[in-house]
Amino acid sequence: MNGFRDLEQLSADLDGQLAPSESARLKSRLQLDPELAEAYEDMRQAKGILQKLPARKAPRNFTLTRKMVGLKPPLPRVYPTFKFATTFATILFAISLVVNGLSGSRMAYSAASAPVPDVGQGGGAPDDLFTMPMAAATEAPAATDAPATEAAAQLAPELGVAESSERIVETPTAKDDASELQSQAQGPQEPRDFSIPFIWQALLIAVILIGGLALGWMNQSAKRKWRNE
Amino acid sequence: MDEAVLIHSAQNGDLDAFNTLVLHYQSLVFNTAVRVLGDDDLAADASQEAFISAFRSLATFRGGSFKAWLMRTVTNACYDELRRQKRKPTTPLEPETAEGDEVDSPKWLADPNLTPAQKLEADELEHAIQHCLDALPLEFRTAVVLADIQGLDYSEVAIASKVPLGTVKSRVARARLRLRECLRGFEELLPSAFRLESEEI
Repeated sequence: MNGFRDLEQLSADLDGQLAPSESARLKSRLQLDPELAEAYEDMRQAKGILQKLPARKAPRNFTLTRKMVGLKPPLPRVYPTFKFATTFATILFAISLVVNGLSGSRMAYSAASAPVPDVGQGGGAPDDLFTMPMAAATEAPAATDAPATEAAAQLAPELGVAESSERIVETPTAKDDASELQSQAQGPQEPRDFSIPFIWQALLIAVILIGGLALGWMNQSAKRKWRNE
Repeated sequence: MDEAVLIHSAQNGDLDAFNTLVLHYQSLVFNTAVRVLGDDDLAADASQEAFISAFRSLATFRGGSFKAWLMRTVTNACYDELRRQKRKPTTPLEPETAEGDEVDSPKWLADPNLTPAQKLEADELEHAIQHCLDALPLEFRTAVVLADIQGLDYSEVAIASKVPLGTVKSRVARARLRLRECLRGFEELLPSAFRLESEEI
């Protein structure tokens, strides 16, 4: 016997897996080689014994139920459309809530941070916070026309303070005051109202409710129909 | 039963068609599982899992031998079951007496139809063979169960075990030799069949 290759050949011959010529060659060798013949007999017996094993009857039926394999009932064709509409409406509604929330807080912040006018300049706080700086701005250009050095020269003798022209240049000028007033006039503009109207939100809620109810109804009726089949 | 038609219907989600196939193949599947696992309950679980898995992956069946394809599913289910058993070894439920001693042969374990002696006698050959099968490495056991017990040809065994044809040849040969060696130990116990085979030659 020539090792395991021979055993494989013997086994394959038992199963009819050898070509007729190979099988014939093996059979002739079996007659000459007692060791090979014994191995062949062992294999034949092992195969025979296994085939004698009684077949076992299945203890129960292994048929599957829809639940076992997770099958879902067939839904109507419009189901995906409803699902998409409801989901989309829900997303839009959520966005509208966020936008309205942000818009409301922005308005409140703008109202709170509007500049309070100088009491001494205006002679008292105006009723409208936004109209006051505009009025101040219209008055300011007159002051900007006057050169800063001239104004300083006029003011110096009155105050009795001798200052060099360089020093004067560094002091706050009327032009600066005017530009400040102008920026105040431009700055606190009335904020735009980006809030989404309530009617749109109501519409979205309606779509969500109707869509949700329709989806639930379609699901239930499909399941009922499936159970009755 | 037109198997091809049933398979096609089942591939399109027809569970009734698939259940017809289940009824046709369930004995084969259970027998394979019971010989590989050596335990009826585990084999029943593995068979059920195999059918569920087969239904779910039926789209991957591209023709050829459905029996071999199904056998591959069963083999996989058996391997999974064995892996699960290794991870979570179970403890046998042993009843206790009032004093806390274990009852060796509880009443509910007894078969009402046969006495233990009769049962032992009837199952002698089967037990001996199963014992020897269990002693084989898993790959050898699967190969010999599919080839010799279920009667699959080598190409089908190759499909079912996902190994080349040459490997199947080798595994079947080795398994047969080892089985023969093992069964020699039971020669006195069994062998009407075993001895007769020897005497026939």
